[in-house]
Amino acid sequence: MDMIKGHQELVAALRKSGDVIEVTRQVDWNLEAGLIARHINETGDRSALLTNIKDYPGARMHASPLSNYRRMAVAMELDPDTPPKKIIDEYERRVRRPIKPTLVKDGPCKENIVKGDDINLLQFPAPMVHDGDGGRYLATWHVVVSRDLEQRDWVNWGMYRCMVHNEKYLGLLTLPGQDIGRQYLKYQAANEPMPVAICIGPDPCSAAASTSSPGAGVSEADIAGAIAQEPIELVKCETVDLEVPAYSEIVIEGHLLPNVRVVEGPFGEYTGYRTSPRDPRPVVKVSAITYRNNPIVPIANMGTPVDECDILFSITWGMDVRQAVSKLPVAAVHIPPEACGHAAVVAVHKIYEGIAEHVANAIWGSKLGYLMPFVIVVDDDVDPYNWNEIIHAMFTKLHPQRSLHARHCTPGHGLYPFLSTYERKWGIASNLLIDLTWPIDWDKNIDVPQKASVRGMYPRGLAEKVVAGWKEYGF
Amino acid sequence: MAKQYDTFVDDLATLPEGKEVVLAVRNLDDFKTIAVKAVVSSTGEEDDLLWLRFSRGRLRDKPWRIKVIEELPFEALFIESSVLQ
Ligand SMILES: Cc1cc2nc3c(=O)[nH]c(=O)nc-3n(C[C@H](O)[C@H](O)[C@H](O)COP(=O)(O)O)c2cc1C
Repeated sequence: MDMIKGHQELVAALRKSGDVIEVTRQVDWNLEAGLIARHINETGDRSALLTNIKDYPGARMHASPLSNYRRMAVAMELDPDTPPKKIIDEYERRVRRPIKPTLVKDGPCKENIVKGDDINLLQFPAPMVHDGDGGRYLATWHVVVSRDLEQRDWVNWGMYRCMVHNEKYLGLLTLPGQDIGRQYLKYQAANEPMPVAICIGPDPCSAAASTSSPGAGVSEADIAGAIAQEPIELVKCETVDLEVPAYSEIVIEGHLLPNVRVVEGPFGEYTGYRTSPRDPRPVVKVSAITYRNNPIVPIANMGTPVDECDILFSITWGMDVRQAVSKLPVAAVHIPPEACGHAAVVAVHKIYEGIAEHVANAIWGSKLGYLMPFVIVVDDDVDPYNWNEIIHAMFTKLHPQRSLHARHCTPGHGLYPFLSTYERKWGIASNLLIDLTWPIDWDKNIDVPQKASVRGMYPRGLAEKVVAGWKEYGF
Repeated sequence: MAKQYDTFVDDLATLPEGKEVVLAVRNLDDFKTIAVKAVVSSTGEEDDLLWLRFSRGRLRDKPWRIKVIEELPFEALFIESSVLQ
């Protein structure tokens, strides 16, 4: 099967699978489009192609492109009913084989090219996503492309929010622990503007790859190719030395200015709160805009679960956690979408004491240590994909004095809602390991309680027979 | 009709009344960030409206008034800083 090459092609695939509706009545870019996206996320409904936008005749927006596993499965060209664990297993299988992108001469994102005085970011229906946001966020579903100043072959792709200041300037959130922040600090130290290209509405595999966190030195373009199972086609930018996915809906080229800040935000964030305040943040001076004919502006509306962050983090960060703990006796890993990417649940084979610490150290020692404050470790009879089982373990096996291991002064960032204002400002975080495993020195026959469940308290043959013949009982 | 703007402020003491200040405000028609030289006041009936939001977005009940003296280039809002948070 051919990969889904762009966002318009994703919408076509979602139409085929019945996962998008078309809204032809007029929708306002000011709050109404964002509200539709938010309600889709909170109800799990289909995504919506909005084809009649107030003040923007002919323009289109796509609300909630990938905020459930069904649409993610479609994006990966799997059966839409594929269960989450199978999607994540398939993702892992694919990303083990990175595929480098190919450079092509031309692509749909070059159908229109605007430079100089004609540049006007407000020619597109940038949504006011939530009431009280600091501005209109044109880029909520995108790839920000940037090249490292020293390691020139390291091209980072990341999804970092972009707010329209005016026709020619954007605000960009560049947290210091994210790869873009690390790269920007190098340009800033050299007092050089940092070239960036913001690719709005790229193909879904490039969007997904840009939310993964493989760490410095790894180019996410290779991961995007792996997910798509073929090279991503890139085209050269007009005004910066960067290459971008050729099928992007809109590409904004420009430079992040060194040592300059303008107030940006606040914004309803992936945690489900508006946590980080309006603050001085870096700005992009735009040097060119290129776009497809009749482009679609996607809106990923961050907030309470489940949104694109929650789905993508469960997959891409799930993979990063799997890699971080791959040498340990781990049975299964999951990043539950309901926890907004803040928690990893790891099931272990408890063959030695301290495995929980070992697992938490591995995760917090990886790039994700900056992003994931909670690690929950369970025995291998608990399914990390099943919240009911996790909650049950939490309130039965958790020893209030022995099971909670807090760490202070850990790396983190200003979007964590539980930190104080001062801690958020400087990214001074705290982490918590919740160890829900039975202690190794408890005798299995004498000390460890027996689980009163189908799996735990009946002869296996009988349990299998009863469950397999369930309908025969008249259920 | 009075124009409507807003700005973000937690501590009202940082928004001095009755004297010229350079401010980042938003035009509520298109939400562009604009730099203005203006005089603001918490009372009065004349002039344009200046809505106030806390820095995490919550709107205060009562708008202030703003008299825009001059719109400045966007670069007037540039803050020189190397801090990244
Ligand atoms: C819809 C969406 C929006 C996001 N917005 C931001 C953002 O504004 N800032 C940020 O640092 N991370 C944001 N993220 C998370 C990053 O994309 C993610 O942490 C990624 O791993 C960053 O890449 P990096 O490790 O190369 O820095 C967002 C993710 C998604 C799915």
